[in-house]
Amino acid sequence: MFFHMVLERNMQLHPRHFGPHLRDKLVAKLMKDVEGTCSGRHGFVVAITGVDSIGKGLIRDGTGFVTFPVKYQCVVFRPFKGEILEAVVTMVNKMGFFAEAGPVQIFVSNHLIPDDMEFQSGDMPNYITSDGSVKIQKDSEVRLKIIGTRVDATEIFCIGTIKDDFLGVINEPGAAA
Amino acid sequence: MSAEPFNKLVKLAARAFYDDITTKGDNQPKTARGDNRGMAVVVLDALTSAGVSTQWGGRDCEDFSSSYIAAAELGELVDYYNPRQGLMPASFRVRTVPFEGCNQIFEEFLDPDFGESAIGRVTPIDYGLWWRQWVREEDLAKDLKLHSKQLRRTLRFFEEEKLVTRDHRRETAKGAKIYSAALAATGDGQQTGKDGEEKLKMHTHSYCCLDYAQIYDVVRYRMHRMKKKLKDELDNRNTIQKYICPTCGRSYSALDALRLISPNDEYFHCEKCNGELVAESDKLAAEEMGDGDDNARRRRREKLKDMLQKIEVQLKPLTDQLTRVKDLPVPEFGSLQAWEARASAAVRAMNGDSSNDASKSSQGQGYGGTPMPFLGETRVEVALSGVEVKEEDSKPDPAATSMKVLPPWMIKQGMNLTKEQRGEVKQEMRDNNSGSAGLRDDKKAADEYFKAYYAALIKRQQEQEAANREQQEAAKFSATTSNIPNGVFETTSDRRVGMKAKRDEDDYVEWEEAPPPGNPVHKINDLNAPAEESGDDEDDIDWEDG
Repeated sequence: MFFHMVLERNMQLHPRHFGPHLRDKLVAKLMKDVEGTCSGRHGFVVAITGVDSIGKGLIRDGTGFVTFPVKYQCVVFRPFKGEILEAVVTMVNKMGFFAEAGPVQIFVSNHLIPDDMEFQSGDMPNYITSDGSVKIQKDSEVRLKIIGTRVDATEIFCIGTIKDDFLGVINEPGAAA
Repeated sequence: MSAEPFNKLVKLAARAFYDDITTKGDNQPKTARGDNRGMAVVVLDALTSAGVSTQWGGRDCEDFSSSYIAAAELGELVDYYNPRQGLMPASFRVRTVPFEGCNQIFEEFLDPDFGESAIGRVTPIDYGLWWRQWVREEDLAKDLKLHSKQLRRTLRFFEEEKLVTRDHRRETAKGAKIYSAALAATGDGQQTGKDGEEKLKMHTHSYCCLDYAQIYDVVRYRMHRMKKKLKDELDNRNTIQKYICPTCGRSYSALDALRLISPNDEYFHCEKCNGELVAESDKLAAEEMGDGDDNARRRRREKLKDMLQKIEVQLKPLTDQLTRVKDLPVPEFGSLQAWEARASAAVRAMNGDSSNDASKSSQGQGYGGTPMPFLGETRVEVALSGVEVKEEDSKPDPAATSMKVLPPWMIKQGMNLTKEQRGEVKQEMRDNNSGSAGLRDDKKAADEYFKAYYAALIKRQQEQEAANREQQEAAKFSATTSNIPNGVFETTSDRRVGMKAKRDEDDYVEWEEAPPPGNPVHKINDLNAPAEESGDDEDDIDWEDG
């Protein structure tokens, strides 16, 4: 689920950036530092949408770095148990398959794949129904439901299922391209 | 209206869920477990059958009903109610029903008859009086020929399972007498002898009681959980797969999957020993771990399906009973104190003489004036009558209780009443009289009666107690009345009697006198506002009628 929220961060800026474009440099550095990171508390920071305020800088003794407290708005993405997501399959093996929904990695174990789908090894490992109509392989797009999340301080990993109504393959890899 | 469907529910649940429960601690050797199996069922059965046996076998039961039949014949003479307002169980039918469809075993229980043949007086009956509900654990142990420790352990287990409620208290022989008095009310007279022998030392006594309402919920919840667990497993829904390393025994969950994948092959590998991980099937099919993954899964599914079906079939009687019980009013016994109070009130109603009254009340006060909530019975009363309580939402409880302790043969006793009380009665009588000419006379009469009764009761309390207690009492009445102490309850019966008697003497003398208009007002906060208003209303109606 996506959230738009205000976060705060202390930015350390090297003295060489000091000058007329200090503020721009600060914001650029903020984006570089923050976007794409993950905190267990808020989820993945997808994008910074604005900077609310930049506080007074504090010069660190010895280094000359200056610390600015920055308040910024950003879009975060945090997966929840029970949430339905659309994801792209990245890897298929005998134990199940891995998929990505944006920054989040999701594992779907073979228990949570419908029983009528069988694993086929080979050059392009896949799960396929007996009549061959549905096939899950690398780059397939699937809709899945998250049934478990593991949230570490800097990492979020999910377990999904496609064994439910309206879940499963939504797009063959070739079709989109 | 009996607890019978609930008792059956308890029995079925006991057999379904507690058949193989042993109460031995885990530290005891496993070999000792065998002899204890099924004791839980026996104990639960005893708790229910204690109810049933006293229910139909109790002699007092017959006495009570026959007394009321007699009362009904007198009804027109002594009572100013319209006797056709029948709210009493007029009779009791003993129904014999084969137990669980078995032709050998029969169950008998009483059906109170509230039908068209119901008799005259507006008297709430609490069904709880007909059977024994709170059981002293020592007595139960004696009945079951069990060691009390053993029984207590079982009961504690059931308490944790929320099937029974228990109450412990330290009491002297006197306190125990209250219980036995209550017990006598429910038709089990044997207990009185035993209690006399008790010393004056304080003993801790434990009582237990089936909590039917909670049992119903517990059983439903348990069945729901059972089914849900199996269904989830069957669908593999919301289950996080576990993986085991067969070589080093380390276990991983699917959440670790990212760390476990190896670039070389398509299996998960142990972080520690790099062994190939095996998916761990559930405990239910643990023995089938050995062979191929797919095969095991399929077999496990079969097994789960089988279990689910078995649940449906084998618990069918239980589910049937649950649906039967669903719409029935749950028999509620209240706390131990409340139950005792009610039961002793019933004794009073049955014996109906003041000496008995006095002794009981002194006992009650000696017992500590414990607050006695009279909550459960009112609900029953409302469901039955729906007539007289409807208009007095704030104060149905004292009404109900007061009504209960009014057997007609108590009317003989006279009491010295105050002016106000007399006025009360007078006005009420007037209303009643004129009301009988009106359309909805019965209802009005009932209302007036209650109001007058409250006023009289409050007056009495004012006399009895210091002036500073007055507010407190009023508050108690206007609130839920759950705080009425024992002593107050005792006075209600007396008061009622006296009031009636007074009316019989006085009403014709004072009939024509214009009643003081604001008479019922006693400066009691909540009660009198409505009473006053409706009193005025009825006055108006009277004038119109006349």
